[in-house]
Amino acid sequence: MNWLPFVVSGLGIGGAYALAGVGLVLLYRTSGVLNFAFGAVGAFGAFITFASLGFGAPLAVAALAGIGTSILLSCGYGRFIAPTLAYRNTVIRSVGTLGFALILLGVMGLLWGEIPRRLQYPTDKMALSFFGARLTYTRMIALAVAASTVIGLTILIARTRLGLNMRALSDNRDLSALLGIPVLKVELLAWLIIGIFAGVTGLLLANLVGLKAFQLTFLVVPAIAAALLGGMQSLFWTAIAGVGIGITEAFLTAFPLVAPYRSASPFAIALVAVAVTAFLPSLQKRISS
Amino acid sequence: MQRPLLFAGAAIVGGLAFSAQAAAAEDISCGLSNGQVASGEPIVLGAIVGKTGPDDFSASAMAADAYFECVNANGGINGRPIRYIIGDDQWNPEVAAQLAAKIVQDENAVAMVGNSSFVECAANAKLYADSNIVAVSGVGVPRECFSASNIAPTNAGPRISSTAAAEFAGEQLGAKNIVCIGPNIPNVGAWSCEGVVKWGEANGVTANTILIDPGSLDATSVVLQAASFGADSVVLGLPKGIMLPILTAAEEQGFDQTMNWLSAASGYDTTVPGTLGAVWEGKFYVNMEFNPLDSEESDNRNWLAVMDKYAEPENPRDTFAQAGYLAARVVTDALLSLDPADINRDSVTAALSRVDNFQSDILCATWYVGAEQPRQNANHTTRMAVTAGDTWKTVTDCRPSEDVELADIIAYEKEAGIAN
Amino acid sequence: MSRAIIREDVIPMPNRYRTLLEIPVAMALVMLVVVSTANAYWISTFTSALALALAARGIGVLYGLLGLVSLCQFALIGIGGWMMLRLSHGTGLPFEINVLIAGVTAAGVGVVWGAPALRLKGLYLALVTLMLAGAYQVVISATGFPDGGAGFLGRADATQRLMLERPVIATSNSSYLVYCAIWATGGFMLAEWLRVTKMGRSWAMIRKDDNTARSVGVNLLTYKIIAFAFAGFLAGVGGALLAGGVGQLDGRAFAASESLFLFALSVVAGVYHWYGALIAGLLLRAVPSLLTDFEINGYVAIIFYGSALMHALITAPRGIAGQISNLIGKIRTIAIPGTGRQAL
Repeated sequence: MNWLPFVVSGLGIGGAYALAGVGLVLLYRTSGVLNFAFGAVGAFGAFITFASLGFGAPLAVAALAGIGTSILLSCGYGRFIAPTLAYRNTVIRSVGTLGFALILLGVMGLLWGEIPRRLQYPTDKMALSFFGARLTYTRMIALAVAASTVIGLTILIARTRLGLNMRALSDNRDLSALLGIPVLKVELLAWLIIGIFAGVTGLLLANLVGLKAFQLTFLVVPAIAAALLGGMQSLFWTAIAGVGIGITEAFLTAFPLVAPYRSASPFAIALVAVAVTAFLPSLQKRISS
Repeated sequence: MQRPLLFAGAAIVGGLAFSAQAAAAEDISCGLSNGQVASGEPIVLGAIVGKTGPDDFSASAMAADAYFECVNANGGINGRPIRYIIGDDQWNPEVAAQLAAKIVQDENAVAMVGNSSFVECAANAKLYADSNIVAVSGVGVPRECFSASNIAPTNAGPRISSTAAAEFAGEQLGAKNIVCIGPNIPNVGAWSCEGVVKWGEANGVTANTILIDPGSLDATSVVLQAASFGADSVVLGLPKGIMLPILTAAEEQGFDQTMNWLSAASGYDTTVPGTLGAVWEGKFYVNMEFNPLDSEESDNRNWLAVMDKYAEPENPRDTFAQAGYLAARVVTDALLSLDPADINRDSVTAALSRVDNFQSDILCATWYVGAEQPRQNANHTTRMAVTAGDTWKTVTDCRPSEDVELADIIAYEKEAGIAN
Repeated sequence: MSRAIIREDVIPMPNRYRTLLEIPVAMALVMLVVVSTANAYWISTFTSALALALAARGIGVLYGLLGLVSLCQFALIGIGGWMMLRLSHGTGLPFEINVLIAGVTAAGVGVVWGAPALRLKGLYLALVTLMLAGAYQVVISATGFPDGGAGFLGRADATQRLMLERPVIATSNSSYLVYCAIWATGGFMLAEWLRVTKMGRSWAMIRKDDNTARSVGVNLLTYKIIAFAFAGFLAGVGGALLAGGVGQLDGRAFAASESLFLFALSVVAGVYHWYGALIAGLLLRAVPSLLTDFEINGYVAIIFYGSALMHALITAPRGIAGQISNLIGKIRTIAIPGTGRQAL
């Protein structure tokens, strides 16, 4: 069987994993929270976009409305809920976002139900052909967004004052406050960036995999695999891992024996990677911290 | 982008319903049709549907509910009203079993009507058998819904529906190499596609099966896999939420131009042609287990009129709703045949197992409950339709399925003299 | 505090063993009320709740005692349930033996799945176990649970699924509920016994810090393995009882998200008390049933879980059970001065 087309098709789903994974790592690095609500916030924004389109809004306006909603939701949580959990351990802080995700999921279910919908963009109809598989412009945009945000955010975190503050905050909140870092403001900025990111990701995923509340909300689970492969640290490796996982998953389609189990590949890859790295002493310090 | 189309779809159906009602305002028919509100001791009926979960399967019970409300407003069951309890199994067999305990054991329902669920039949078949209660299901999906003596769905089921689509592909579209795509859900996907493969073997058509994880996000690989089999036609046996991304991926890959795309009845939904868009015009075929939704025949018009008067506007007027309406009609007819003072589970079960000649223009053929039969699958004659603008166009007449698994059913029909 | 120590010297049976007696008494009382008042719907709801409560107790041991987060406990319920169904359809062993083997199997898997905990802690461990739950979801939804067929997987793919036979002494719904309650009581008592003995003290050391524990001579490897084995065992027994309640299981009911819910609601219910597990089971199964009884949309249950989770995390770190415990403590302090402290 010719497996090259599957590699190309894996770029689509890989882009989705990469985007979500980068979003998770970004917030984890800046505020020490693994955001289980990332998918739900994005999905909620995408639903708003979909509804706005239904009211006859132009695509650009509808997209802005969707991203704006995602920003509002993200900042709302970051401003009012997250600080109340700031002094608990990372697990509890992360589980808090799970609560938020469930509320959003329930509200989406109540408002819109589980009817199959999909956001469509003009770029869906344009495609380039590689090895007998086509890659639409929307998918290429998704990959480009992932790549450019990885670069942009890496620079932001590594080179700017804001990035420094964010890193300080995630390391030690009390000391950062003592040093005069405006804790709440910096944190809010982190949640704002995450909101934008979730919104854009939601809009792309609502096209790539469809606008389904439950599926988009729990897309974070395979995305966590990409984040783990990036060591919860590196945006670059998370993005690479996301694309790699997507390609592997698609590639396995070519092998009928394992094809039914191929959607387990994000988890299997992450587990193997953790099993290998967790027992390498050089990585010990980073993981146990 | 899709919402206006969705509204448009609803408006078309709504418009039809209005015209139908205008014509049928006086002769809207349900139960005794005497216009008197029933007020006696209620008769309890129940339904278990999968509402919350991957897809909303509650339309069947909503339609049955509308019909029963109509019956209650029109003399009830010889004066006794129907109390209809609907449970949401959330696609979880554990919940389905709990709901069955509630409806069958606590509420003492005399029959189950309009069930439609992926999990319910398997979870509750034994309880129904032990409690001597008949379930006139609306939409049976997994094999267990078609393999119990006292579960009698009004629909044909995914296996017959998929096989019928393959038969159409082979006979009308000249398919020589078919791929059947089903969910890897036990007793659903493999069972449905087996019908397609067996039909292919018997008719010299190559047929392969692809089973997919319903949770998988990667639809493109699935269509590429279908292409790698060299398929000229693809039969989808998937819930519409999983089916649409596959069609979209097919379109992205340009396979809408090079292959025939067909679906079991799960694809027959008013919103699908609009959601797919103009590219798919005349290219996507679906099997219909019932008469077209906009059919002008009398029982179908009566269904729409009942929905219009007694259901909420947001309740779907889809093929599932037709199934639920039929189930409600079957049970109402059976209840009306009994002495209203002597309606209990045993008498209702006996009355339902006497149903051997139920007629409706929504169905292609006679519907019945096979008395003492180990399994029920009365509906196995179906039609095909194709996308046409924002709606569907029927392209074939009623045609009985050639599925080999129906041998026992056909033999029984011959023996019992049921003309199908 | 000093007063309590003095009292312990006076009372012949140390107070720490008292909860061991409280558990059977409280469970018996609860069952008496439930069996005498509940209808078939609520009986089956409570049966499921008890099965999940056992798994929640396992989370209580891991998180409450050792501070380890495992997000694959619902998958371990599935492991236990799978083994139970496979054994029951494939062998003629008595129900109880099957339950124990199912528990032991899940314990074994639990140890293997808990292996990352030997190196990882905190969020990393949580995420790795979530990956396990994700992988299990894919595998089990593709293979399904045994239903009387041949071969290793035991898939019938036939016209009728075989249902799991309940134990001969508990075939009716209410007797099966009591039967499950007895298993649950046993599990809770075992957990409580482990908590108050040397095992629990060692676990508490590990919770504090790995190095502290090591420095006082606690064998980290052994004690962590025992904890994961025990939590897995409880989940496995829970899965076996769940399979007996419905008669079969379905692969799609064992998604990774279920493991997340189970952990989250265990935290809401409270992981520091044995009855927190019971409350977690009720939250998971009785709350949706209650909403169904009032004919409220299933999405409302999801919103309820989310709000309860956030509310509990923010305002009640020790969960509902902690609040109940505080209440009992206050009442005792008022009623019998000087004894209230022990309730904590």
